Amino acid sequence: MKALMLSLVIAMMADVPLQDPAEEARAQALMRELRCVACENEPVSQSSAPIAEDMRARVREMIMEGSSDQDVRDWFESRYGEFVLFRPKGRGFGGTILWAGPFLLLVAGAAIGFLTTRRKRTDAAAIESEDA
Amino acid sequence: MIEAGHFMAFLALGASLAQMVFGLKGDRRWAGMAAIAGFGVMALSFLTLVHAFAVSDFSVLLVAQNSHTLKPMLYKVAGTWGNHEGSMALWALVTLGFGAAAAALMKTGRETFEARALGVQGLLAAGAMAYLLFASSPYLRLDPAPFQGAGLNPLLQDPALSFHPPMLYLGYVGYSFVFALAAAGMMEGRIDRVWAKEARRWSLAAFVPLTFGIALGSYWAYYELGWGGWWFWDPVENASLMPWLIGAALLHSVIVTEKRENFAAWTALLAVVAFLFSIMGAFLVRSGVLTSVHAFAVDPKRGTILLFGLMAYGILALGLFAWRGPGLKGAKPWLMVSREGALMANNVVLVVAALTVLLGTLFPLMAEATGRTMSVGEPYFRLTFVPILALLLVLLPVAQNWAWGKADVKQWTRWAIAGGVLVAVFAVLGVGVWKISLGAALGIALGVWLIGGALWELKRRAVTLKRVFSVSPRVWGMTLAHIGIGLFIIGAVVETTARYETTVALAEGASGKAAGWTLTLDDVGSIEGPNWYADKAVLTAVKGGTKTVLEPMKRYYPAARMPTTETAIFKTGTGDLYAALGEQRVVDGQTRWVFRVYFNPLIDLVYAGVLLIGLGGFLSLVKVKR
Repeated sequence: MKALMLSLVIAMMADVPLQDPAEEARAQALMRELRCVACENEPVSQSSAPIAEDMRARVREMIMEGSSDQDVRDWFESRYGEFVLFRPKGRGFGGTILWAGPFLLLVAGAAIGFLTTRRKRTDAAAIESEDA
Repeated sequence: MIEAGHFMAFLALGASLAQMVFGLKGDRRWAGMAAIAGFGVMALSFLTLVHAFAVSDFSVLLVAQNSHTLKPMLYKVAGTWGNHEGSMALWALVTLGFGAAAAALMKTGRETFEARALGVQGLLAAGAMAYLLFASSPYLRLDPAPFQGAGLNPLLQDPALSFHPPMLYLGYVGYSFVFALAAAGMMEGRIDRVWAKEARRWSLAAFVPLTFGIALGSYWAYYELGWGGWWFWDPVENASLMPWLIGAALLHSVIVTEKRENFAAWTALLAVVAFLFSIMGAFLVRSGVLTSVHAFAVDPKRGTILLFGLMAYGILALGLFAWRGPGLKGAKPWLMVSREGALMANNVVLVVAALTVLLGTLFPLMAEATGRTMSVGEPYFRLTFVPILALLLVLLPVAQNWAWGKADVKQWTRWAIAGGVLVAVFAVLGVGVWKISLGAALGIALGVWLIGGALWELKRRAVTLKRVFSVSPRVWGMTLAHIGIGLFIIGAVVETTARYETTVALAEGASGKAAGWTLTLDDVGSIEGPNWYADKAVLTAVKGGTKTVLEPMKRYYPAARMPTTETAIFKTGTGDLYAALGEQRVVDGQTRWVFRVYFNPLIDLVYAGVLLIGLGGFLSLVKVKR
């Protein structure tokens, strides 16, 4: 426990990677999807701003305490607002449009393409004769 | 000097209006002459601006605001377009340039059509010139002239960034002439083989520089920002990606119009939309709606004018399309399993991909209007854009050999077996041997699939291996571009999934470990450049028998009161060892320097792939004389 406390203190001091590579990888993945609140469109993983450093330390701390990825995201959201999440939430009407939109468009595009061929399938014979 | 330039810009406006009037009247000869004259005077006018920057004439307001006597000559000259007014002057110049080039090169044998295309181009050029002269004039004087200028944004003082804007503008504005061709074709009611041949050529002439322009910007971001990545899904990057995707769709659909006189309305629509996306990019970047290094002149009034222009062109073109589109002849029946079907699938996916980027880019802006502040970043695009595009790339090798009219798909079992074997091999290799995630392994398999497919198609077109070098440059162009996509995918997948990043804090003389390398900080010294001073670290990196010296810098530009990072990169052969110098920090009474150290595996494949795509486009442009 004492060792843990000590390593916590070190982790909070500077950018010291976590001991466990798997945990560190998770922490880094999270840092890439959290937005530095003092910067211009930068994730906390990249920013050299002091606040970003604090945010990185907080991510590592929470991972070390055993929080899940979602816990970390939720904590940052409650603290800094939705703005901090580079992975926008899918909740609500807007969120649904945002996340489902591209796939709905793809289905719609495929359907339109498919219908234009189907409707004219009777002319297929004409195509083949033209080809010959 | 600058007054002469100002006067010549008015002449250029006059010439482009003449080009518009003669062109729309159907007078090919006079429209062409006006186009060439307009470009000539605007080129001279632009040179007076370049001259003012080169000699640091601070009695010119723009120079005083954006230049400095101590800057190296390259950045003085490049500073001409490193600001809002100058970049708009470049935009106008390139618009006129495409008109002049078209006047000289177009040979379709259709006088009225060519005249009208030049006429529409004249309209677009006049629009750009009017915007330049009346809403963002670079020709204003400043009295009294200051002794020193305010300097150029230091981030832009970089060789790659000097050529990034002209390249990008050649691409963006290149689509203006594609737009003009589509409008003229619709006025004539003829979107046919002859039209498509011409449109394809100009689409390539826009696509190739756009590709290189994006690559330059991305490479700059990679080594200058010191963030270790090469694409950040930043709104301004997205603004250039959207016309590129639409342009790529257009390059494929125009083939159907050229070879089969089909999809005419759709091709014309894409030709129009490619340019609209280009202007929208300019609007997003220039209006200050988005803040970034590109938004040098945040002026809502200008943004409003650009938005108005965008809407005016859009209404004009789409109105023309609605009026003439339904009557166009080139709409024949087609089958799903045919080359037409394959190219239509390509188009659907590329357009949906572009719209996904649009949605992700504009969504935060729209949300803000409803009072919700939110962010859309890399994770969103990774989960939407990437799988959608991957779908297309999986099908590419299979569908690219489908025949026109009706494809014979008896061989589908062979393709399925080949694909299955590839997936199995890379899944085992990736997860078992390389210890990477299954997703990354499948990504690499996709890259190999694309390269193999491109080579297979080349062999099929050449019939025998001996004749591979006698196939047309166009087939080679396609092959190289598709191989380029494959290389890009492998590079992108490996780099993003296996990138190693860490931070080390070192005192002078101390060593640390990062990415398997032992880094020793030998020295941190101060050095001085023409218009900056810097802290330069000397890091010795050792791994096994390899030893190299990295010298990352932190520069400070007093004129702009701004620091920049100058990263140090060592190419190991399998990737880049990349170091950026950060803050100085006192830990336990000892001064330490913070370094951000990355290992970016196979990053060169990302750029090699994009260069091959551009080169492929260029080869496709080569006409063979028979």
